[in-house]
Amino acid sequence: MNNLFQYVPGHSLIHRLNPVTKIFLTIVICIAAFLTDRLLFLAGLLAVDLLIGIVAGVANRTWNIFRGLLKIAAFLFLLQALLTRKGTPVFWIITDQGLLTAGKVVLRLVVVCMPLALVLAVTRITDLTNAMVQVMHVPYPYAFTLSTAIRFIPQFLEEMAGIMEAQTARGVAFDKARGLKKFSMILPLCAPLLISSVRRTDQTAVAAEARGFHLRTRTSGYKQYPFTGIDLGAAAFCLLLLTGAMLL
Amino acid sequence: MIQIQDLSFTYKNGESPALQEISLTVPDGGFLGIIGPAGAGKTTLARAAAGIIPHHYPGDFYGSVTVNGLDTVDSSIIDLSRLVGMVFQDVDSQIISPLVEDEMLYGLENFGVSREEIPQRMEEALEKVGIADLRDRSIASLSGGQRQKVAIASIIALKPRILVLDEPTGELDPRSSRQIFSLLKELNEEQGITIILIEQKIMLLCEFARQLAVLSKGRIVRQGDTREVLSHAEELQALGVNCPRVTTLSRVLSEKTGAEQPVCINLDEAENMVRRLIP
Ligand SMILES: Nc1ncnc2c1ncn2[C@@H]1O[C@H](COP(=O)(O)OP(=O)(O)OP(=O)(O)O)[C@@H](O)[C@H]1O
Ligand SMILES: [Mg+2]
Repeated sequence: MNNLFQYVPGHSLIHRLNPVTKIFLTIVICIAAFLTDRLLFLAGLLAVDLLIGIVAGVANRTWNIFRGLLKIAAFLFLLQALLTRKGTPVFWIITDQGLLTAGKVVLRLVVVCMPLALVLAVTRITDLTNAMVQVMHVPYPYAFTLSTAIRFIPQFLEEMAGIMEAQTARGVAFDKARGLKKFSMILPLCAPLLISSVRRTDQTAVAAEARGFHLRTRTSGYKQYPFTGIDLGAAAFCLLLLTGAMLL
Repeated sequence: MIQIQDLSFTYKNGESPALQEISLTVPDGGFLGIIGPAGAGKTTLARAAAGIIPHHYPGDFYGSVTVNGLDTVDSSIIDLSRLVGMVFQDVDSQIISPLVEDEMLYGLENFGVSREEIPQRMEEALEKVGIADLRDRSIASLSGGQRQKVAIASIIALKPRILVLDEPTGELDPRSSRQIFSLLKELNEEQGITIILIEQKIMLLCEFARQLAVLSKGRIVRQGDTREVLSHAEELQALGVNCPRVTTLSRVLSEKTGAEQPVCINLDEAENMVRRLIP
């Protein structure tokens, strides 16, 4: 969990894409997933997701994200299959229509979530927000909020682990509990953690202001984010995906 | 120059004043050390000197603080931030970016340092603090001491005229602490940067700071030249501030020999004194 959102350094084709292109590609995959109504095309999109992960050299991470999503997907699949009443029954109250819709819903979910998580694995948060500000003209305060939120995830988890360790040392059996039980044990810890996080973010805001937060303009970034040939290639690929989603 | 006159401050949600009737002047190019027990108000004083109080912490503010002629209450935090660089006591809340390099870039970019100058400023600061090799690391992968060095380097790169450092060596080993202190001394002597340094390591502080202020329960109980303040060793001890061992040595020797010995503030002076007394 801890490093599911952390940047994995690299120089792959995907890493070298302009951050804006990566956001664009993510959005296009999402749109394509909602445009199409064919199971096979959705499966194709999933293959694209996985392929992107492999080309970026983050196959391990891709697999972890996929596995994480699979648990939620299985639950959703069951729910959808049980609730759909149309079509001919194939087994107990489950119909063929139900199975098909459930498959599509679940595939769509996985296809849409994967690139969102992958973007963070192959892009530095600062590049992401800087490019958003410079190229997409997103107001800096919004970009700052986003990057700060993402930056605090590992710290939050680190502190959470620290507290759980301390509690375990006092005899609380976190490791033995599972599922809902574990969740209910962790929940009370969240409030104090959240309070300390808010206090800390407040101080971070002060630190940012003391270092010229208000002086920052759209062009303040030291690094620049020009579009290159690979971005053009990615754009062409996006066009292909969209046409495919509409025609197939 | 920082001039503080009759400053009293109570945090909005605080029961008692965190600072009371503080008057203090740090001349241009001065090096002031601040020491005092936990909760004495050291951090509050640092925040006031940097203008963060009252701009960010609401509360009752009496008296005045002027930084290079700017009254902190009337000036914007933007103008003040160009003058004063502050290293926070809690490094984790000071660090904004997920990567060392981005953290270094942040202030440089905002203050409009030119593209040509940025790499050199960044390398110089990292080099001086001794962490050139950490440039590409992520903050999450660093130790507390390493993070502290990153925070210091990111402020030093901005070349502010005044530096306020709140226990900047709290997580550093003795050798790194000394390295940071030497760096501050160099900035102070060669570039005339005014320094206000809060520190618990009294031995180091006395060796480097030219002036000392002792804070207790929100008040300044002693201030003046380092040597002068240290001559009141017993008073400091009573407040819970330990004196350097060399200072204690000179005091004990004064008592034992019956002749007033000069207050020693570093090892060399202590050695000379002992050599003088033991012919
Ligand atoms: N943000 C705040 N809100 C309310 N009260 C505060 C705040 N920060 C500090 N105080 C109070 O002000 C007083 C002085 O605190 P301060 O942090 O300045 O002490 P300090 O000398 O820096 O202590 P330490 O050595 O532990 O860092 C304390 O009583 C503290 O509880
Ligand atoms: Mg403090």
